[in-house]
Amino acid sequence: MELKAQPAMAGTSVLQRIEGRFGYATDQQHLPGLLHGVILRSRHAHARLLRVDTTRARSMPGVRAVVTAADVPGLNRFGIVVRDQPVLCEDRVRYEGDAIAAVAADTLEQARAALALIDVDYEPLVVVDQAETAEQMAPLHGESNVVARDSLARGDSNAAFARCAVIVEHHYQTPRQMHAFMETEGGVAIPDNNGGVAFRVGCQSGHRDVEQLADILGLKPSQVTVEATPTGGAFGGKDELTIQPVAGILALQTGFPVLIHLDRFESCRVGIKRHPVSVVMTTGCDRQGRILAHRVDALLDTGAYASLGPAVLENFLDHATAPLYRIEAYSVSGRLVYTNNGVSGAFRGFGGNQATFAVESQLDALAGKLKMCPLQLRRINLRTVDEPGSRGQAVRWTAPPTEVLAEAAASPLWLPAAADACGRWLTGTGMAMGAQGNGLGDGLPDSGGGRMSLTAEGRIRLEFGFVDYGQNLVEAITCLVCEALGCAASDVDVVLGNSRGPDSGPTSASRSSVLVQGVLATILPRWQDRVRDQAAALTDLPRDELDSGPGGLFVNGQRVLSYQELAKKGQPEQTMVDASQEFPVAPEGNQPVGRYLQLQIATVARVAVDRLTGRVRVTELHHITAAGRVIYPPGYLGQIEGAAIMGLGMALTEDMPTREGRYLADNLDQYMIPTMHDVPDQRVDILDNTPETDPFPVRGVGELGIEAVVPAICSAIEAATGIRLRHLPVDAGSLLSALCAQEEQRL
Amino acid sequence: MTRPTQPEICTPERVTFKLNGDVISQRVAPATTLLDILRDSGRITSARAGCRIGRCGACTVLLNGEAVPGCLVMAWQLSDCTVQTVEGLTEDPDFVQVRDALATESALQCGYCTPGIAVSLVSGLRQQQSGDAVDLQEAVAGNLCRCTGYGGLKRAIAVLTEASSET
Repeated sequence: MELKAQPAMAGTSVLQRIEGRFGYATDQQHLPGLLHGVILRSRHAHARLLRVDTTRARSMPGVRAVVTAADVPGLNRFGIVVRDQPVLCEDRVRYEGDAIAAVAADTLEQARAALALIDVDYEPLVVVDQAETAEQMAPLHGESNVVARDSLARGDSNAAFARCAVIVEHHYQTPRQMHAFMETEGGVAIPDNNGGVAFRVGCQSGHRDVEQLADILGLKPSQVTVEATPTGGAFGGKDELTIQPVAGILALQTGFPVLIHLDRFESCRVGIKRHPVSVVMTTGCDRQGRILAHRVDALLDTGAYASLGPAVLENFLDHATAPLYRIEAYSVSGRLVYTNNGVSGAFRGFGGNQATFAVESQLDALAGKLKMCPLQLRRINLRTVDEPGSRGQAVRWTAPPTEVLAEAAASPLWLPAAADACGRWLTGTGMAMGAQGNGLGDGLPDSGGGRMSLTAEGRIRLEFGFVDYGQNLVEAITCLVCEALGCAASDVDVVLGNSRGPDSGPTSASRSSVLVQGVLATILPRWQDRVRDQAAALTDLPRDELDSGPGGLFVNGQRVLSYQELAKKGQPEQTMVDASQEFPVAPEGNQPVGRYLQLQIATVARVAVDRLTGRVRVTELHHITAAGRVIYPPGYLGQIEGAAIMGLGMALTEDMPTREGRYLADNLDQYMIPTMHDVPDQRVDILDNTPETDPFPVRGVGELGIEAVVPAICSAIEAATGIRLRHLPVDAGSLLSALCAQEEQRL
Repeated sequence: MTRPTQPEICTPERVTFKLNGDVISQRVAPATTLLDILRDSGRITSARAGCRIGRCGACTVLLNGEAVPGCLVMAWQLSDCTVQTVEGLTEDPDFVQVRDALATESALQCGYCTPGIAVSLVSGLRQQQSGDAVDLQEAVAGNLCRCTGYGGLKRAIAVLTEASSET
């Protein structure tokens, strides 16, 4: 069923957003006493710090504080998985974005002028700029540049390879993609009168940030508050702490609020990126196309600090096992290494989409060798819903994978494109599939809480710790509440992202919608019970006949009490209900590996390749998703479309290459994200066979749209030209050379 | 490789221009950008520093009626000019038409780029009204959006185009 565009929900923040008064963290430039903070970044990708002299900077006009590593009150390290990144470097810098010192001054100009007078002496060190040889180089941390080494295996893959009739082996390379959120990293740290600090920042997990910030600032967690303001895009790039530690230190030193807002140049240089992956995949099947054996050897460059790299490696390997397909034996391994090439970390897809690109390309290669339709090869090998997942774990799909494939096979994009009279454009259609799991997975602690109350003003209030960075979570929560209570959207307030409120865990891993649905299933009936009790006492009407509805409570379709009256005459504070929900994992007895709740997508792409320039235009995209119930259609559509275009950028234009550890692009004129003119028309069809009785009818779709689009585009390019590209982003020059060589051969 | 992001500080000079109907007269360094003047005024949050090199469109404003990136206009160019931002357009019929189309087609997610897009569309609509053959997709070619993939924006433009072809 095609998912059609629908109007945005009225009464939400849509108008505030359009009119520019939504209150992002970086809009708070006019707090009383506000100081501006700036950070000194390393000049070298790798060097010893011999001397950091702040004398001249301190004497500059307007300067309130100049801080270095010696001024970090607590732990001078941060990182969600491994705390290996200094807030301010002590004696060594490991990438050109490393922070060395910071200044707070009355104006931004004064702060910048002072920053320029901090004297630093460096002793340059050998730059580790090749992931391939990083293991042999002097370690950037500890004993070795290998941060993590991981492998997954099932069956005897050597024996299985021996029985294969066809084996394909290829090398794949994926780009270092940048999140390029439109609001660069920023926010304000505000000191309180009791030695604590409150942050108003763009981030992804207020509660988790509190823990790290308390350690860094030498405070108790109760002294730190994080209010995650509306955030201008994140996509994983604001999962780690960004400006918070330095802003906090400057605020504590000066006693005034401090705003730090990285400009785009600094954001490009400092911010985390998607892990570039270099991987060799070897895949074999029998004459009938049954995949017997699969081997993967991957290398991920995490840059100077681990960030979420170990978890990205795990998710890469999980997806490298080809979760959609039944494979007799596999041996999948990967290494994550430190280099001086910036820092890579969380990014929508989280390693999974890099793996899916290679896996799906391998399937096309096998089909090519067998002279079999690539869709037929997939049909033969797709799992059924009754089978366990690729790692032997229990999984829960919302639809049979073969049905998703059948819809993709029926896409109108397979019909021939309109003829190109001048012969300039080569057109072709291709497809790929992808699976993706929700939640942190792999047995990690994963839960989230929420709260519901009737306010003194008679508003139905829902609180969660999740952050609003544009994913329409407010609207999704409102829809679920209205559906359950029969109330109007205008009765409901959704409050997100305050670390003093309920802890919902990080806003990542496509986990929010699932947890929201679970928490609401608990708190909605309990809240409704309490409201009914109070309403019955106030109205003398039978409790069981009172139903919540738009604006208040109803008996037989007649409104008998408004929420405002109830709040005024009753005890609204008594209606508050809290609940926490464990993220759904496989039922007991199963090994906690991988992810239980699974989603699928098939993407069909049509491209036109320019024989004059080698450039690729994606002209149409058609997605089929099987990802549970659609709660808020515009949000669902926007997530799939937006993620797909992010994938289009990854396939065609986006990369942040390095030379000797330095990024070669420093702003959006050199790092090219898709514009209006680069994007095709898209169609999204939803396949929702989720049974009424399914305990987990809602899945998170924030990452699904990027899963299959990249291999689908490469498949379409091959259909158009006969050339398969395995190193991304597509280089128009190389494609043109290959096209010319091919055409010359034909002559 | 690092490019300068700030103009060199020069002697401040008086600049007088109209912002959303009010006369603004202040002393600033001639190379101060319009974007910084707007942000520092404390009145404007709709224009945003997304790149400061005229690439992303998040600071798009109307300068004498024409959509321009505020980060590429300097104070010395502003004398006697008229500047309009979204804050000054909320009652404008063209803006209202654009706002309604963006909202009904859900053409936004995080919303950070949206005011700039709205200004570009208002400019495009007005050029159409004055008889120029302007493609509204062309009008927003300089506005980057990272969240939506432009799907909702395409639909909003289709609505606006349909409406203008009816009149």
